[in-house]
Parts: sequence; structure tokens; C-alpha cells
Amino acid sequence: MKEFRFRILLIVGVLAFSVYLLFPTFADIQNTNKIKKELSLLTEDLQKSNPTISEAELKDMLLVREDSLMITDPSIRDNREKRMKLGLDLQGGMYLVMEVNTAKLLEKLAKDTDEEFKTLLSASAAEAQVTDADVVEILAEKITTSGKRLSRYFGTIREEDADIIDKLKAQESDAVTRAIEIINNRVNQYGVSEPNIQKQGSRRIIVELPGIAKEEEAKRLLQGSALLEFKIVKDASFTFPIMKRIDEILAADFKGETDSVIVTDTTDAKDLTSEQFAKEHPFFSIAVLGNQSQSADAYVKESDKNQVIAYLRRPEVKNAIPDNAEFLFDAKSFTSQEGVEIFKLYLVNKEAELTGGVIVDANANIDPQTTEPIVNMQMNTEGGREWARITGSNIDKRCAIVLDNAVYSAPVILGKIPGGSSRITGMADMNEAKLLQIVLKAGALPAPVDIIEERTVGPSLGQDSINKGFNSTMIGFFLVAIFMILYYKKSGVISDLALFSTVIMIMGILAGFHATLTLPGIAGIILTIGMAVDANVLIFERIREELLTGKTQKAAVDSGFANSYSAILDSNITTFFTGVILYQFGSGPIQGFALTLMIGIVASLFSAFVVTRVIFDILVAKGNKINIG
Amino acid sequence: MKVFENINIDFISKRKVAYIVSGTLIILGLLSLAFRGLEFGIDFKGGTDIALKFDDAINISQIRAELEQLGLGNIEVKTFGGETGILLRTELQSVPTEIYGGVITGIQNSILRYEPNAQISISDSTDNSVTIGFADIQIANKVDSKLQNDGFQTSRLDDNNVIIRVGIADWIEGELRNKMPDNHFVVQKEDHVGPKIGSELKQDSIISVVLALLGILIYLGFRFKFIFALGAVVALFHDVLITLGVFALLHGIIPGLNLEISISVVAAFLTLVGYSINDTVVVFDRIRENIKIHKTASLLDNINNAINITMRRTIITSLTTLFVVAVLLIFGGDVLRGFAFALTFGIIVGTYSSIFVASPFIYEYVQRTKKNIQF
Repeated sequence: MKEFRFRILLIVGVLAFSVYLLFPTFADIQNTNKIKKELSLLTEDLQKSNPTISEAELKDMLLVREDSLMITDPSIRDNREKRMKLGLDLQGGMYLVMEVNTAKLLEKLAKDTDEEFKTLLSASAAEAQVTDADVVEILAEKITTSGKRLSRYFGTIREEDADIIDKLKAQESDAVTRAIEIINNRVNQYGVSEPNIQKQGSRRIIVELPGIAKEEEAKRLLQGSALLEFKIVKDASFTFPIMKRIDEILAADFKGETDSVIVTDTTDAKDLTSEQFAKEHPFFSIAVLGNQSQSADAYVKESDKNQVIAYLRRPEVKNAIPDNAEFLFDAKSFTSQEGVEIFKLYLVNKEAELTGGVIVDANANIDPQTTEPIVNMQMNTEGGREWARITGSNIDKRCAIVLDNAVYSAPVILGKIPGGSSRITGMADMNEAKLLQIVLKAGALPAPVDIIEERTVGPSLGQDSINKGFNSTMIGFFLVAIFMILYYKKSGVISDLALFSTVIMIMGILAGFHATLTLPGIAGIILTIGMAVDANVLIFERIREELLTGKTQKAAVDSGFANSYSAILDSNITTFFTGVILYQFGSGPIQGFALTLMIGIVASLFSAFVVTRVIFDILVAKGNKINIG
Repeated sequence: MKVFENINIDFISKRKVAYIVSGTLIILGLLSLAFRGLEFGIDFKGGTDIALKFDDAINISQIRAELEQLGLGNIEVKTFGGETGILLRTELQSVPTEIYGGVITGIQNSILRYEPNAQISISDSTDNSVTIGFADIQIANKVDSKLQNDGFQTSRLDDNNVIIRVGIADWIEGELRNKMPDNHFVVQKEDHVGPKIGSELKQDSIISVVLALLGILIYLGFRFKFIFALGAVVALFHDVLITLGVFALLHGIIPGLNLEISISVVAAFLTLVGYSINDTVVVFDRIRENIKIHKTASLLDNINNAINITMRRTIITSLTTLFVVAVLLIFGGDVLRGFAFALTFGIIVGTYSSIFVASPFIYEYVQRTKKNIQF
């Protein structure tokens, strides 16, 4: 047995590792069911105790409860991150492909446009619909053929056409970056779990929003122009009393309704004092004020953000906030020293001082003197005049740069800024400066995007597909397994063991890569079950042939495996190659299919050459008679 | 089990029969491609697909008649996922301008149905949304949530104004709700594909199939002989052509079987290419081995022997694969039906072609050129 020890260990190791990789997926399914149950109980309770509760309020409360459930058991979050993901076609959700509308962008960028320009532009836009060429190039060519230089409409008179084309193309790619940031910002605020937003090619954006098929409002998140505003941050002397008042109101509320479901879960491992503090100061316990800082920015942990939002939406809390002020969160969290993601909460003037339309340009740079990253912002004349007045009367105050209700930066105004050219410093690194540049430009130049493909799958169809996929896999597996036993008897059992380990490995590898399982992906697994036995069949048939020629058991097994190598490899390599092409060709679901197909080939080869082989070798070594069908 | 054992058939001498069978099938396929053509899904044509599931049983022809009155031209209606599901399809990208006014009146009417006393006015309208102003905020709130429940996409301009998106899908759904108020439905799936995506996809599909064939040609040419690679690729063309022909012949004929060309059907074709080549390579591998070992035997015997000796394997693997794709076809649901059908049919043709097309092609070539194949 010694000679087999290594291979047996290898097989056991591979299978155990696959199961280990699959474990978070199992755990997550159980956790999700548990949370779903809790939430539906909570929904019932809430609707019973308050029949007039609005959809929005209910949603808030459910969100908060989900957050608190997630915090009490960190393994929930952990497992969720490590699980095999379900594609949009299985869990329901929305898939969108958006394209930056270059024609609209060019219209915005062009100066002194005339009728001729408009005709050329719309002709170019129409042409771009049917060809691969870029609108910029088509338009440039049309303008040139009409006997004009590009500088008639774009750039300056000194610039060559080629330079202008490059610049316009840069604007185009800028617009994509901007659109992605705008969408990211909105999606994050909306609270979609596990969104996926990525750039495809030079002008396209793919947005995947799982699980929000029913809330079709999501679509409007993605269209419409972004709103950039400058809002003055309220002084600490103004903000602090308001926060204190909110804290008192909430504390009083909870004293009245001690059994209210809204009370945060603080059951485990917290000492009495902090529990006491949380009870007495429900607001300050989760919206923490900095000890030393001059400002009254509250620090809110990512996990408490929904709770704070829910608090701020309560009518009695709303009443405590003056009409001219509003609370806004940071757009991006920062990581605290303890490694927790923190959002800052600001109280700002409700009325914007200026909107982003006045911005002409923004550029992130390195200050040559201090080597710090800076952003230069240029406003138009009108905006510049306003800006001078605003900055002049708000010296030493902070001005929040707000995009779609999320704060990107809140620099201090150091002095009156005449002439509309401002300089923003204090960014941690160049990335932060670049981000601010994108945001500022979003005010200047909207990024017009068109939805060119949109696929929505409702949760009911998704669940239906999961069930059908699961049933088909089981039926397919047992049909093949039973057939193999009927045909090959004892050897059939061996091939079934190999088949079983193939399926376990496919699932394990998928989970290990955090791959997304789609309906075609399940189809790929099912197809693999049918095709994976091929390698075993080839080997069995060959051993049978070798036995017929009168070879000994051991010799027959050895040459059976040896002689079937080339056929198995050649045929699987060609199939694998078509899998690679499929992966390149397809989008989401089809890629899932190609992936499972390729993984299936690798797994079935391992099963045939290692699992089946070692079982045969052991049988031969023990003197058992090999019997093929 | 002693099935398919010791087969000894002279396949190569009977190849003329196979030529007639294949030739007839290909001609039939080409004819149906030419006269009936393929039915492309919205993945390729662009347009809108909406899958709805009703609470109660429905009458498809009644729905068809209702939708015809909308003036949208041709809206296809098919069954989808059982008795209460339908799939609607239109190639339109947005509500046509001729009927846009009627659409807005329709929306106003539904608002008045929710709240007969509402005072409303149209404050703005663009080509894909309409903004309705309400005198009373309370009523605006109520109508907003009712509209959202009914599947409209709405947003608030301010407290008194509600923006309602007028997409083609929203509108068709809204009309169906009006016309069948007693039979509630949910939207199971909604796909909207722009015309540009479709034409790109057509290009990508062709490129990927050609690439797959080229890759196979090169790999097999390298591992075997060029003529083997060519034989395999000819067999693949044969399989794809005949399967395409079946798609052309049968689309729209068998109820419940949606045989349009979608992305997943193209994926099935590529998979079929992968499967069929797998089958062919196994036979080729045996021919190569026979030529190496039995140097004196004639090519005819070597090929015949290779086919016969791998026959058990060919049949078993085809059967197990057929089992699973048949399971997919029956239990996999509507989403995968076209995919599963392409594979079911393709596996049968693919198995046939690796025996009756790929190998005879090599024999035919050697006969004509009088060249000798050696490994």
C-alpha cells in the first residue's frame, strides 16, 4: 500500500480542500435563511404594531436590523465574502451596459456652433451607430471634408487638427471615468449590496446591481445629470447643540418604548458602562465626536451608518434640525487606526452657495514647492465673482464639495478668492486629488450616458432557475451514474466515484476563485457530468481490449491507461480551447458557462488519471479481478 | 453488459450511403435557411423582451388581440414557463411618437382611477418621461407609490411633481394591467438591447466560431496531419450547418420550444463544436495508432478497425451526454431550452459525423491523391 500513499493523500487533500472552499457557501446559505426569517418576523411585528407604516420606514428598519445582525456575528460577513457568488440570472437583479454619448459631449464642448455643425454632428452620430469608428473621428473627417479646420469649433486657432482630436478623445475617456464615479457614488448611497461597476472598452460602463429588480427606481439612479454643490459647513458652536438635542430626543424616545425593536443590539461582550452610555446617548454612541477636534464632525462606523440615517429620518429628530441645515455623509469612508471603516457626518447649510455649473476646469497636480497633491479649480467669470463674495464672507469656515448629496471634501476657506481660480490642498495622496478633480469636473461637464443594454431578472425567476438547475444536476448525475453501473458493473462504481469527485472539485474551484455561478454555469456543470465519464470510458475500453489480448491484470491496467492518454489529452485540449474562446466571446452568464466547462475538463482529467487510476492499482495489487462490463 | 460488442462493420465502403444522407440533410438545411431563415432573438436584433407571470390562467390569443390594438405594430406573444407565463417581444426601442400622446393620456387616466378627485396637470414631457403636477402633496404621495407598485418608474421632482418614465416596457405593462385588472402579474424578466449591441454581437459570434475552427485546424494539423485537421473541420461545418438548418426549419413550429438564435444558442454551437471535435479526435487517435502499428494493413482496414473498436466508447459517451442534455431540455426551464435543444441535436449529428464524415474524408483524399499517410 505504501506506493499508493502519496496519491491517496493527494486525492483526500484535494477533496478536503474543495469541501473547505465550499464551506463558506454552505454557511452563507444558512445565514441568509436565518436573516431572512428574522427580517420577515420583524416585518410582521412592525406591521402588526403599526399598520400604517410606510414602505420607506419599514425598509429603513429592516436595513438597520440586518446591519446589527451582521455585526453581532462577524463570521456572517466573513462567509459572505468567501462564498460562491450567484449571478444576476439566479439571484435576480439588473445588468446594464451604458455608453457615453459622445455626440452630446461634443455638442457641449463645441464653441460658436452653427447649423452646419449641428447637421454634421447628427450625421456623425448616426454613422457611429452602425460602424465601429469613434464619433470624434467621424466628425473630424466630416469637418475637414467640408473645408474647415477643427479649430473652427474646438480648441484654439493655433492647434493642429491631430492635437484637437487627441484632446477630444481625452475628454471622452474623462467622461467615462466621471460617469463611473457618479454612478458609484449614487449606488453606494442607495445601499445596493455587492454592486459591480466596471469600464468596458473605451466608452462603455457595465453596471451589475444584484437583487434590486423589484425596486426599479434603481434605473433612475443611473441616469440624469449629477448635481455638484458647494455648501458651507456649520460651525461647531451651531452643530453641537443640535446633535445634543437629537441625542436627548432619542434617549427620551427609547425610555418610553424600551421594548422597541429599534434599540441596537448590544448584547454581547460590552461592559455595563458602554451599554449604559449607549442607552443614555443613543446618538453619540454611534456618531462619535472627535475629542480634540475643533469641528463637530461626527465619526460613524460603516456598520452604524444605516442606523444613523434611520435616526435622522425620524419625524421628531427632523424637527430638531433647523430648516436651513442638513446632515450629509462622506462619499468615501476612511480607515481608522483600529482598521474600521469610518464615514464623517457633517451638518451643512441646506442652501448651496454655488452649483457646479460655474466650474470651467479642474486639474490635479503636485505642488512643485511643497510636493503635496493639489487641485486647481477654475470658474467662469460669473461664478468667479460669486465665489469671491462667498469666500470673502466665510473665511476660516469650511466649504463642503457635495456631489449628489455626498461630501467629497470639505476644505477650509483661507481667504477671499478673487478671479475664480482656487487651489485646494490637504489631500492625502494623488489618488484623492484625482478623485476630487473628477468630481469637480462632473459639475462642469455632465457625462451623458445612454443605456444600450438592460437586462432585469426578477427574484422569482431567479429562484425558479436555481431550483431547476439543482434538480437537473441531480437527475443528470443519477442517470449517468446508474447507467455506468448498469453497463460497467464494478468498474462503473469506480467511474461514479471519479464523477463524484469531479463535481466536488468543480464546485470547490468555483468557490475558491469566488467565481459567479450563473444558470448557463449550472448547465456547464450538468454537461460536464455527461462528458466527464468519457475519459473513464476510454480507459475502461482500452483496459478491456488489453485484457482480451491475454495480458496480465497489471499489464492490462498499465497499458490501458498509457494507450488512452493521447486520445484523452488531444480531445480535451481541443474542447478546452473552444471553452477559452467562449469565455472571450461571452458576457456574464456565458462566461460562467465557459468557466465551468474549462474547470470541468481539468477536474475530470484529474479524476480519470489520479482517482480512477489509484483505485484500479489498489484493486490489482490486492489481487482482485478487473472486470470491465 | 454485452451491448455493442465485437462490432465489425465496413463503414468506409458504405460511405456513399453516408454522403447521400449528409448531402440530403445539408441541402434540406440550406433550403430552410434560404426560405425560412433563422429567427434571431433580441440579443442580435435589438428590442425589448418582457416575461410576465400572471396569478391566474391566461388566454394567449386574447392577450395578442389586446396588444394589437395598441398600435405598436407587431408584438410577439409566446408562452414562457408554464400556463400563466408569457413572453412579449417588440423590436421597438421606445414608444413611437405617433402614439406618445395617447400614452400620456393613458397614464393620466390611471392616476384618476387611483384618485378620482386628484387635480393634476402635465408640467413637462420629454421623449421618455412625463412630469405630472399635483395640487395636493398627500395625493401625490399616494399616487407615486401606487404607480411604483404597478411597475412604473417614478421619481420626485419636488413635493408636488412626479416624474414618470415612459419606456416601452413600462408602457406595455401598464396597458396590460389596465386591460386585465383582475389578473395581476409580476415581471419575471425584462431585457432591452440596443441595435448597436446586436450588430456587434453578430460580428463577435462569427469571429469566435471562425477562431474556434481555426484553432482546431492548427492544433490538429500539428498533432496529426493537416488532412486530418481538414477532415475534422469539414465534419464540424457539417454539424453546424445541419443544426442551423434544423433551427431554421423548426422555429415557431413546435409549441413551447423557442428556437431563436440567442447568445446562449451561439454558446451551444461552440460547445457542440467542442463536443464533436472531441468525438472525432478519439477516432483519429485510433487511426493514427493503427497506421503506426499495422504498417502493412490497408488504410481502409485501419480506418474501419479504428471506428469499430472505438464504437462502444462513442456510443456510451454520446448516450451519457445525451442523457444530461435531455434532462436540461426537459427540466432546465425555458431560459435554457434553446441551448439544450441545440446540444441535443448537435450531439447526435456530431457523433454521426465523426464516424461517417471525418474519417471517410481522409480516405477519400488518400484515394484521390494516392498519397501515403505515415506517422
